Amino acid sequence: MKWNSIRAKVLGALLGCLVLGVGSIIVLMHYSFERNSHVLATESVSGAQKLFTILEAREISKMTAVSDMLIVNPQVRDAFVARDRERLLELTGPLYPELKSEGITNWMFHTAEPDMSVFLRLHNPGKFGDQLNRFIDKEVVRTHVMVTGNELAKAGFAVRILRPFYDAQANVTGYVEFGEELGQFIHTMKSQTGNDYGLLLSKKFVDRQFWADSSKVWKRRDNWEDNPNFVVADKTTDSESIIRFAGDLAAVPGEGEVLERFRQGNSVFVRGIFPIHDAAGNTVGAMFVVRDISSFYLAMWHTQNVLVGLTIAALALGGMLISGMLGRLVFRRLDHIIVVATRVVGGDYATEIKVSSDDEVGQFEELFEQFRRVFVDVLAQVPAFQEQEKSRSEAAGR
Amino acid sequence: MGQLNDLKLKIEAKITADGLDPMAVKGKIGLRSGKVLAFITPSTPDDPDAIAKLKAAAKEVLNLTL
Repeated sequence: MKWNSIRAKVLGALLGCLVLGVGSIIVLMHYSFERNSHVLATESVSGAQKLFTILEAREISKMTAVSDMLIVNPQVRDAFVARDRERLLELTGPLYPELKSEGITNWMFHTAEPDMSVFLRLHNPGKFGDQLNRFIDKEVVRTHVMVTGNELAKAGFAVRILRPFYDAQANVTGYVEFGEELGQFIHTMKSQTGNDYGLLLSKKFVDRQFWADSSKVWKRRDNWEDNPNFVVADKTTDSESIIRFAGDLAAVPGEGEVLERFRQGNSVFVRGIFPIHDAAGNTVGAMFVVRDISSFYLAMWHTQNVLVGLTIAALALGGMLISGMLGRLVFRRLDHIIVVATRVVGGDYATEIKVSSDDEVGQFEELFEQFRRVFVDVLAQVPAFQEQEKSRSEAAGR
Repeated sequence: MGQLNDLKLKIEAKITADGLDPMAVKGKIGLRSGKVLAFITPSTPDDPDAIAKLKAAAKEVLNLTL
């Protein structure tokens, strides 16, 4: 097949369509994958944020219910009013393991202002008398109504409730506090969504020495130096590398943000982050969300391969069909005309062009057949004309 | 005079010797050279341009050097 033949040009155009089609599919699928993975990451971040808020509200509700029961217990009230620490511990101590098993890891009684020191720590009874001076302490003293919110303290980063405790005359005699470690939320969230989470705390709000000490107490690796701006308080994965964030936690927008997509081994993940505020409204930490989108990636990859395969098959089939039709409808008939025309020139005046159809080529066949007949008629006159010319030449020469 | 006719005879002899379709081969040579072989007679004038074209066509179609 000549490169400049119509057949070659048509097949070249089909090949061009194939390359364009396959290229378009790959670009489209890439764009679709980028867009969908971003949507998945956005959904993961917003979903995690909603779930975190729901868990936070649920636990606050639970701790509020527990405190409601506690403040109406006359024995507990009297022991607290009497500042009888041993009696108070005797009454409340048996409850603590049960509450702890439900996630309430912090339970404290505080004396009333102006001193407002820790009177009893159920989670650490041997330690008392210290003043915490946190935002929620000041707020509850100022308002004398229950204060809730996240608070980063020496005992950890926890969602807390702190509410006034009243004596029999309804005077504020002190305060009671319950708290749940936020770190445990991420394990609940993982069990519900399957995503991995990391709780990050800004170093601005964490004391270096406290972190080192608490790492010893909790028997965890001191990871202070792992990241420049934050420490990982807890995470749901053993992998250190999937939690990677180079920005400033304070700059993370309130609705969270999608970070990027990355590969690890055969898996593909998307990362996102949303801020966690303390009761005072400071961005003290952030929740890091990692979603495994490998199955989605594989599905997209499979779809892309199927589409590419189908496009190649369709265009190859189309190419064969068009090539076959061109051959049968055009080229073979043109070849026949060429053969007949050649034979006419070679002296075969008997072979006719058969008009096989009334299509465009058929019209040409008909026209050429008419031309052939005229040509044959003219050719038939030529010998006589040549003889005539010869005789005339001879006569002139005489 | 007569050179073109000599060439025509040599071409016809080659076609016969090779057992080729005379109409088809002479047609091809005619189309390539611009000369209808049937019209070449001993009295056809020697046209150098026509001779050169006929030789080239014979070479191309029959690989015959004249």
